[in-house]
Amino acid sequence: MTINFNNRDPVYVQVIRHLKEQIAKGFYEPGQEIPSRRELANQLKINPNTAQRAYKEMEEQGLIFTEGNMPSCITKDEAVLKNVREELIIEAVDLFLGSIKSIDVPLAEVLELVKKKHDAESGEAEESK
Amino acid sequence: MIEVKNVNKKYGRKQVLKDISFTAEKGEITCLIGINGVGKTTIMKAIMALTPINSGEILMDGEKITKKSFEKITFIPDTITMLPQMKINEAFAFMADFYKSWNPQRAEELLQFFKLDPNERIANLSKGNTAKVNMLLGLSLDVDYLLMDEPFSGIDIFSREQIAEVFTSHLIEERGVIITTHEISDIEHLIDKAVLMDDGAVLREFSVEEVRENEGKSVVDVMREVYRA
Repeated sequence: MTINFNNRDPVYVQVIRHLKEQIAKGFYEPGQEIPSRRELANQLKINPNTAQRAYKEMEEQGLIFTEGNMPSCITKDEAVLKNVREELIIEAVDLFLGSIKSIDVPLAEVLELVKKKHDAESGEAEESK
Repeated sequence: MIEVKNVNKKYGRKQVLKDISFTAEKGEITCLIGINGVGKTTIMKAIMALTPINSGEILMDGEKITKKSFEKITFIPDTITMLPQMKINEAFAFMADFYKSWNPQRAEELLQFFKLDPNERIANLSKGNTAKVNMLLGLSLDVDYLLMDEPFSGIDIFSREQIAEVFTSHLIEERGVIITTHEISDIEHLIDKAVLMDDGAVLREFSVEEVRENEGKSVVDVMREVYRA
C-alpha cells in the first residue's frame, strides 16, 4: 500500500481520503480491523504523529472506532459508509464538471464520450484478467 | 524539549550564529534546512557542547547540557567516527563500553533491518553502508534526543529510502529528533517542524502540517518565499 502524496495538502487529510477510497471500493468491510497507527505510518512512510492525527480525525468523523486497548475498526454504521461513497463520487463529478466547463462542450457529447471510454477501459480490464 | 535561545557564536571575527532561537519537541522530528555553510552543523555542535558559544543558552528538558546529558542526547555526525579498521561488531563493543545507554538488542535489530554483516570491516563498506552503520550506532543508544547531521547526503536512493523508513518506525517514535538537510524533498512528509536558516540566522520556524492546512503550501513553497524575498 502506497500513496502518492502531494506536498500542499496536509498529509493527514490525504491519509483520511485514502482510507475513504478503500471503504468506498469495498476493500474494508464494516467493522473490519484496520492497521495500527504505527503500522500505517510505516506502510505509508509517514510521520507517526501524522498517522495519529489522521486516526483521531477519523474517530471524530465516526469513520472508525476504537474500544479500549483494541485495534481500531471501520464503523458499522451503514449510513456513514454510504455517505463516504457518495461524498467521493460527488467530489469526482464536481472536479470533472469543473474541467469540462472551461472547454465549453455540450453535455450530451461529453456523456457519450465518457460512456465509450469507460466501456473500452472496462473491456480491457476484463481481457487482462 | 530542546531550547536554543539567542545563541551567538563567532569564529574569530566571523559571526557564524546570529541570535539563533528555536525549539525541538520530544516525539517530533525537527528539520534544520539551509544551504551549506549557514551554520546547521555548528548549532548541532553547540547543542552537544562540542564547540563553545559566545552568548545565549541551550537547554534540554529545562536543564543545561552537562556530562550526564550524553546518556540522554546523542549526535550522529555526517561521517563515521569509528576507526576504519574496526569490524562492525567491534564498533558495537566500543559503544557498549562507552555508553550505559547502549541497547544491544536494538543494534541487532537494526543490523538485520539494514542487512549488514557484523564481521565486515568499516573500511571495506560502501558509502551507503557506512552511512547506515553510522546511523545504527546512534540509533542503538536509548537516548531521548537524537541529532543527525545530513543523514541523507551523498548516498544512493535505496539507502536513502531505507534510512527514511527508520523515521517512520518505533526506532524513532517518542524521541526528539533534530536533523539537518539541504535537500528537503525526500523527507517532506516525514518531518513535524521546519526551521529555515540562512547566513547564521533563523528566518522562519513552522509546523509543516499547519502550513499545509492553513496556507496550502508545501515546505518548498515556504522556502521559495523566504529565500527569494
